[in-house]
Amino acid sequence: MIQEVPEVAGEPRTVFVIDDDSSVREALVDLLGSVGLDAQAFASPRAFMSARRPDRPSCLVLDIRMPGANGLDFQRELIGLNILIPLIFISGHADIQMSVRAMKDGAIEFLTKPFRDQDLLDAINEGLNRDAARRREAEAISDLRARFDALDDRDQAIMAQVVQGHLNKQIAATFGLSEITIKVRRARIMRRMNARSLSDLVRMTERLRLYQ
Amino acid sequence: MSGLASRNWLRAVVLAALLATVFAADTATDFEIAAPVFYVAVVLLAVRWLPTYGVVALSALCIALTIMSFAFTRSGAHTAGLINGGISISAIVLVTYLGIRMLDAEAATHVARAQLTRIARVSSLGVLTTSIAHEVNQPLTAVVTSGEAALRWLGQDPPNLDKARRAIERANSDANRASDVIVRIRGLAKGEPPHKSWVDLNDAVVEAVGLAQAEINRNDVTLRMNLADDLPLVLADKIQVQQVIGNLVLNALEAMQGASSPTLNLVVSTVRTPSDEALVAVADSGVGLPQDALEQLFDACWTTKKGGIGMGLTISRSIVEAHDGRIWAIPNSPSGAIFQFTLPAGSEVST
Repeated sequence: MIQEVPEVAGEPRTVFVIDDDSSVREALVDLLGSVGLDAQAFASPRAFMSARRPDRPSCLVLDIRMPGANGLDFQRELIGLNILIPLIFISGHADIQMSVRAMKDGAIEFLTKPFRDQDLLDAINEGLNRDAARRREAEAISDLRARFDALDDRDQAIMAQVVQGHLNKQIAATFGLSEITIKVRRARIMRRMNARSLSDLVRMTERLRLYQ
Repeated sequence: MSGLASRNWLRAVVLAALLATVFAADTATDFEIAAPVFYVAVVLLAVRWLPTYGVVALSALCIALTIMSFAFTRSGAHTAGLINGGISISAIVLVTYLGIRMLDAEAATHVARAQLTRIARVSSLGVLTTSIAHEVNQPLTAVVTSGEAALRWLGQDPPNLDKARRAIERANSDANRASDVIVRIRGLAKGEPPHKSWVDLNDAVVEAVGLAQAEINRNDVTLRMNLADDLPLVLADKIQVQQVIGNLVLNALEAMQGASSPTLNLVVSTVRTPSDEALVAVADSGVGLPQDALEQLFDACWTTKKGGIGMGLTISRSIVEAHDGRIWAIPNSPSGAIFQFTLPAGSEVST
């Protein structure tokens, strides 16, 4: 479902940084600023969680070793809370086990400090794009869901028959309505769902089912 | 000093007064009264205050006094006096024996505790290295990142000189912070005043290698020790010297982890050099070192190890040089390296 989405010019994006070292934080925020990225830094996962974060495509760069919190555990905590922000780990000591676990749990990248700036920026870019794509997808789904929910019960039932490939005649018989009524209702469903064709409508149904 | 002397005086007076009191009481009273058992109190005090031979001497004195009192006592039943005297002497002997045993046990506890501390210190070197790595790495990351940010600010059209300057200033101060960490570690390595004593390096080697034994077995390494019989004693801080040996052994094991040779050999030897120094050599059959590396080996933060930070050898050099010794590395044949250090023989004749 997630596909590469080209960056939309002007779309505001934010990179969050969590590192317990203020020098590293400052340097990172400055580096991101130098390539025109908006960055917000926090000293701990706790501070990040309690801050008001803008609702826009974002990603999170965090040190794996922080006082009072393990980056990997924090990753699972975020997943548990259904906070689906892409993560990029930076670590002072490379540990294969850690990086494997981080990547398995869906991290974008696992970089060893000190890292090449381009590696970090590439990872951040990928993270932001993924988040933007995920958000767009989620938005499209909720839009679709709203349109579907706006249909009345009868129309929803008719739509289910339509996407299963039943003919108007068969559907009319099922509901005890005239074929012409079905035709009119079917056109209305297509219009309200914003579907250009039957295959369009079928695809929408699949997505709705997938995200139920 | 005078406080110590006057305290010893006081103790001697107390012991003498107690002895005199018990003796007087014993002599003045009848045979039936077993006054000499009170010598036990004197012996118990002596156990705390005197060295072992002093305790034995004092207890012998108590026995002699008991016998003298027996001879001087005029009143009472003679047989009862004999029995009481026997009981008292047995009590004195028993308490002396138990008191000395107690002293030995305390001494053994002390030795065991010292050994434990040493082991803890040797193994804490690894922990120390990890935390140093983190402490140096953080400012270093900041330096690199700020440097890159500065380049990007400069690369903009028009270049943002103000931002670039601030990034460079930040990099500068973080670089200083990293160097402060190094200075602090150096201080750590030599700041502690060495506790010098006469050390048999052969013993030190055996103990330090013993601590690494598990690691040696785990790496499937064959260990050989060639210890010289005529090694001079050195005046050194044994723990620090053992840290150096332990460090060289662990380095050798690490060097052999990447080696392709079928058998991994670790040879630890001690030699008396022609100039009467004691030399410890740790030879491995690992990947060896390029010639140009041999010279920078002991510089701060120079390392060929991927995960290493190159502090181990620097600390080792600090320790060896603080002992007026030298540490250096040479290639081993056919492969590997030999790390060795010398310590000057103590000025007194070795046994």
